[in-house]
Amino acid sequence: MWAVIVLLTGPVVAGLLSLVIHRARVLHVVNFVTMLALAIAETALTRQVLAEGSVTTLGAFVYVDALSDFILVIITAIGLSCSLYMWSYMDDQVARGVIAPKRLGLFFFLFHMFLFAMVAATLANSLGVQWVALEGTTLATTFLIAFFRKRESLEAGWKYLILCSVGIALALFGVVLTYYSSVRVLGDASSALNMTELIGVANQLDPNVLKLAFIFILVGYGTKVGLVPMHTWLPDAYSEAPAPIAAMLAGVLETVAVYTLLRSKSLVDQALPPEFSGNLLLTFGLLSFIVASLFILIQHNYKRLFAYSSIEHMGLAMIGFGVGGPVGTFGGLFHLLNHALAKALAFFVAGNIHRRFETLEIDGVRGLARAQPITAVAILVAGCALVGLPPFSPFVSELLVVSAVAAQDFASDTVHVGRFMTMTISDEMRSLGIVTVFLFFGVVLFGGFMFRVGAMVWGTPSAGIPQGEPWTVGHVPLMIIIVALLGLGFVLPEPIQTLLTRAVNVIVVR
Amino acid sequence: MPVSTHLGSQLVDLCSVLLLLCCFAIVAQRRLSACVDLFALQSAFLAATAALVAFLTGHRHIYFAAALTVVIKVIVLPRILRKVIERLNVSRELGMNVNIPAGLLICGALVIIAFFITQPIIPLGYLLTRDSLAIALAIILIGFFTMIARQKAITQMVGFLVMENGVFLGATAAAYGMPLIVELGVFFDVLVAGLIVGIYTHRLQDAFDSVDTSTLTVLKE
Repeated sequence: MWAVIVLLTGPVVAGLLSLVIHRARVLHVVNFVTMLALAIAETALTRQVLAEGSVTTLGAFVYVDALSDFILVIITAIGLSCSLYMWSYMDDQVARGVIAPKRLGLFFFLFHMFLFAMVAATLANSLGVQWVALEGTTLATTFLIAFFRKRESLEAGWKYLILCSVGIALALFGVVLTYYSSVRVLGDASSALNMTELIGVANQLDPNVLKLAFIFILVGYGTKVGLVPMHTWLPDAYSEAPAPIAAMLAGVLETVAVYTLLRSKSLVDQALPPEFSGNLLLTFGLLSFIVASLFILIQHNYKRLFAYSSIEHMGLAMIGFGVGGPVGTFGGLFHLLNHALAKALAFFVAGNIHRRFETLEIDGVRGLARAQPITAVAILVAGCALVGLPPFSPFVSELLVVSAVAAQDFASDTVHVGRFMTMTISDEMRSLGIVTVFLFFGVVLFGGFMFRVGAMVWGTPSAGIPQGEPWTVGHVPLMIIIVALLGLGFVLPEPIQTLLTRAVNVIVVR
Repeated sequence: MPVSTHLGSQLVDLCSVLLLLCCFAIVAQRRLSACVDLFALQSAFLAATAALVAFLTGHRHIYFAAALTVVIKVIVLPRILRKVIERLNVSRELGMNVNIPAGLLICGALVIIAFFITQPIIPLGYLLTRDSLAIALAIILIGFFTMIARQKAITQMVGFLVMENGVFLGATAAAYGMPLIVELGVFFDVLVAGLIVGIYTHRLQDAFDSVDTSTLTVLKE
């Protein structure tokens, strides 16, 4: 109970405080303390969820089960490391005159509203409230993306606002349709959108309405996730947003958007055969994976490179969820955590490089190993983790997803082409075909990504770039994330494993 | 009361069709201020539909939603948009990605598609409002089309608001309105979105000397 209240009120209080505080140091302390409080509250909540299974509180307004708790772990962990990184990043930007000192409070206000909206979306029991909160994230972040007020960042912010608002308006229609089907079963109740009510009656909901609802929700929330072909806002937004915001967008917001999709999927799968939602997710996932790995080949801007890598990893997680089953779903969920860590690290690194070399062009960055040794190590780790090399943890989750694809059995294996031609493809052929495509583009991605990263790390920095890197508080989260990526590659701590297994049981319908 | 239900459903249908007509008028309109006026008119029809449904079914909370529609979508948002138009000194939409006759034809096709998609789920609905669901989807699709076809930031916003109106009509028609907390949240989001667009157009104007979104072409592969 208290943990939920802290999670919800913490960001609001901190956000309002940020508006009245003018001293940078106090702002950072408030930010860090809030994040620490959230992390502690989240730990307490996790213990409660592990002990009781699920928590419903605040007048059935809040519903936390293993799935949402796992997402909250990601939010608070990345949020905490982000608050440390921002300490040195924002101070540096103020010192350079990029941001006026008096706008720092506004930045933290928007940041905390963004955080609040994400926490609310995850905690919400009602699918409608979840929608409201997710739209809230769009509204809070659009000015964060455009915070530097350059022409490019205004353009990116505007595209983000319009595309995500349109997407989410479509998702709202999906939510309305879900309500349409549930009201008939549950009666005219204000609780007919609550997960707690819906779980029990999901198998009685009308399949046709749910089909339509899921398609709208997939397109709508899929825009937020950044699935191809609704991804066009994403590289612009990530490359123009300040580095800590890009880390939060890529690591956390995408995860929350995936979570909202999974909630709908868990409902739809009870009324329809799992192949319906599974095949849709698989198609979008594969498409995102393939398109993103091709675009990675032609990138010359390192922040856009990381942005396309996000699309690719979300595609990968979607493949896992689409294949479904315990292994695929477990792999997909674990991959969300690993991607959040690796991508946060990548954008922190991008922020460091940008401040030193003052360019986003990969060609403009040479000799990182000499100029910024700590950052160079971090970008190598982030690069290896993002292409899925062992011993880092994304390797483990990617392996789980691939083996789930290889081991799956499709229910339908007959393809009708036109009226007269019917092809029957054996299950092995089809799943192995997907594995082959997957691995091929995995290799494409590996080459494209490591080539760029290697080009930035080695060589000699051009004259005028200061060499050496003093230790700041902003380097602490880099070290923590590197250790976490390495550690999770070898051992999965017991609480996280239990949480993941239970979250899988929430999604997978047997 | 079969007669009053019949009459009621006719009236609801009439109001929904008026909303749809407003959509077509927006697509056919070049003047920005007229687009905003048409949006306000459409919202007024929406409020009337909601009030009618509330009256016929006795669901009190729909009255509340209707009142909020009047305040936010008929009065506040159009006022914000008109202010933006005045300040930016733009009155006509010159660049269109699709010309008006073609746009109207596409919208006609969208209406047919909407009826086609909703056909399997319409018989499940309440007798009073079942046809409005198809019209609601048509309005959403036309709003979506408006956002693609127009280039001015303001018409894109109008397109978004039209979509929102469509969703709201759908919720009223399909399920006699969403739970109150959700409806409040949606109104809040729409209002904030309107304010943000107001601020944005100002900044876009400063940075690009234009609110024409076709000038936003710096970021690409």
